[in-house]
Amino acid sequence: MRLPVFLFALSLLSLSGCATVAPQQRAILADPTMQFDAEAKHDAALRHALENREGSMGGTGVSGGGCGCN
Amino acid sequence: MQLGSRSAVVVGLVAACLAVTGGARAQSVVEVDTSHTVFYEAPTKTHMFVYSPSADVQASPWAWLDVRGGWEADVVSGASVATKAGPAYASNHADVISTASVHDFRNMARGEVALKGDVTSLTAGYAYGIEHDYQSNSMHVNARTDAFQHNTTFELSYARNFDTVCDRVQSANAVLPSEWTALEDSTGCFTKAAGRTTHDIGIDTYEASWGQAWSPVVETQLTYTAQLVDGFQSDPYRSVILGEGIKAQEHIPNERAREAVTARIAWYLRSIKGAVRLSLRGYHDTWAIDSGTAELELEKSLGESFRVMLRGRLYKQSGAVFWSDDYTGGLPPLGSRGQYFTGDRELSPFWSWLAGVRAVWTINPAAHQRLLGFIESFKLAGSANMEGFSYDQYTLGGTPVSNAIAYVATVSLALGF
Repeated sequence: MRLPVFLFALSLLSLSGCATVAPQQRAILADPTMQFDAEAKHDAALRHALENREGSMGGTGVSGGGCGCN
Repeated sequence: MQLGSRSAVVVGLVAACLAVTGGARAQSVVEVDTSHTVFYEAPTKTHMFVYSPSADVQASPWAWLDVRGGWEADVVSGASVATKAGPAYASNHADVISTASVHDFRNMARGEVALKGDVTSLTAGYAYGIEHDYQSNSMHVNARTDAFQHNTTFELSYARNFDTVCDRVQSANAVLPSEWTALEDSTGCFTKAAGRTTHDIGIDTYEASWGQAWSPVVETQLTYTAQLVDGFQSDPYRSVILGEGIKAQEHIPNERAREAVTARIAWYLRSIKGAVRLSLRGYHDTWAIDSGTAELELEKSLGESFRVMLRGRLYKQSGAVFWSDDYTGGLPPLGSRGQYFTGDRELSPFWSWLAGVRAVWTINPAAHQRLLGFIESFKLAGSANMEGFSYDQYTLGGTPVSNAIAYVATVSLALGF
C-alpha cells in the first residue's frame, strides 16, 4: 500500500522541475490570498482549539508548548 | 585587575553591539504583534470559557537574521465531566454523572532564531509552558529551501517536547488501574506535598512539506506529519464507572503513534480578484482513530488594503479501539474494551462542522513614509468561528450531548517599526 503512494509522490516530485513560473509571472502567487498560512499567528488559537476538541493533528507545523487541553 | 579585564570585555561587547546596530539601522525592522482570543462552549452539563492573550516581538537586525520572542496565556474557567458513565449503568443509578469546576492559568514563553539566505532558511526555537498541573519544555528546528526559480519549496521540521503532568499518589493497595483514584484538584502539584507525584510525557513530531507553483495562479502543498507520544496521556481528574460501585481514574495507553497527510491547493480566480484554497487531510493513529478533514477557504481582496475570507470545514473521525460509552455492559457497541477505559469525548466517533469569517486590514505606507511618523506597517485582523459537534455514541449517562457548539473569536494587531 505504501509503495504505490511513495511512487505516486515521487512521480509528482519529478514533475516539479518541469513546472516553471517565470519571475515576472509570480505577482499573483505572491498575493496574500494565495498564501496557505498568511495569517498563521492569527489562526493559531483556533487551530489549538480544534486539536483539543478532535482526536487528530497534523498539517499545521510542529512548534508548540504546554497542554492547554481543558 | 581581573574585574577590570571583565569590564573591558563587557564594554567591548556593548560597543561592538552598538556599532553593529548603528551600522545596520537602515535594515533594522522590529515587528510587534498581539492577539486576543476567546473560546466558549456550553454543551450538556458542562461549559468552558478560555481567554488567550499573546504578545510577540520580532527583530531583524540584518537581512539574514530574525530573532523572535513571545508570550501567550490561557485563562480557563468552566466545568468539565468528572465522572463518566453510560446508559446501561445510569438506567439504574440516577445522577451518577458528576462535573467539577475548572480554573487554570497557562503561561507560555517562547523564543526563536531564524537564519535566512536567498533560498534557504534555518529556524530553531524553544518554548516553556506551565499550568497548575502541567509543565512543558518544547524545542523545534526547521529547515526550508527553494528550488527551480522559487517554484518549489521543501521544508523539514522536528519538535521535541519534554512534558510533565501532575497526578496523585495511588494507595499501595491499589495495584490494578481499575483501583486507581482520580486526582481531586491541583493543590500541591509540582511541590513536595505528600500525595502528589508527576509523570513524564515525551513527544516527538516530524513534518516534511513540499510546496509547488504549477502556474501563475495555482500552487499546491503536500505535508506529511508524524508524531510519537510516550507517557501519561489520561486526564488525571476524570473517573470512569467500570461496574457496580467501581469507579476508577481514566486509563489509556502510554504509547501513541500518529500520522497525517495533508494536501492543499490555492487557485486564484481573476474574475473575483480572490483565491480559493482547499485542504484535505487524512489521519491515522495506533489507537485506531481514523479521520478525514476537508476545509475550504475563499479569500477576496477589497481594494488595496482589505481582505475578507469565508471558511468552511467538515471533520469526521472513528473512535479509539478502547472507546466505549459504557464499560459496565449493554449491547454492542457498549461494554468492556479490555484493559483500557476512557470518558474522553475526543476519543469517541463523531463528526463536526465549522463555519467562520476573517477580515484583515493592512496598511503599508510608500517607501520612506511612515504612519504617524514612526509606523512602517500596520495589520489589524479579526475572525469569528463556530464549530458544531455531533457525537455518534458519546452520552452522559444515556443523555445525548446537545448544543455542542464552540465559539472562537480572535482579534490581532501587528505593527512594524
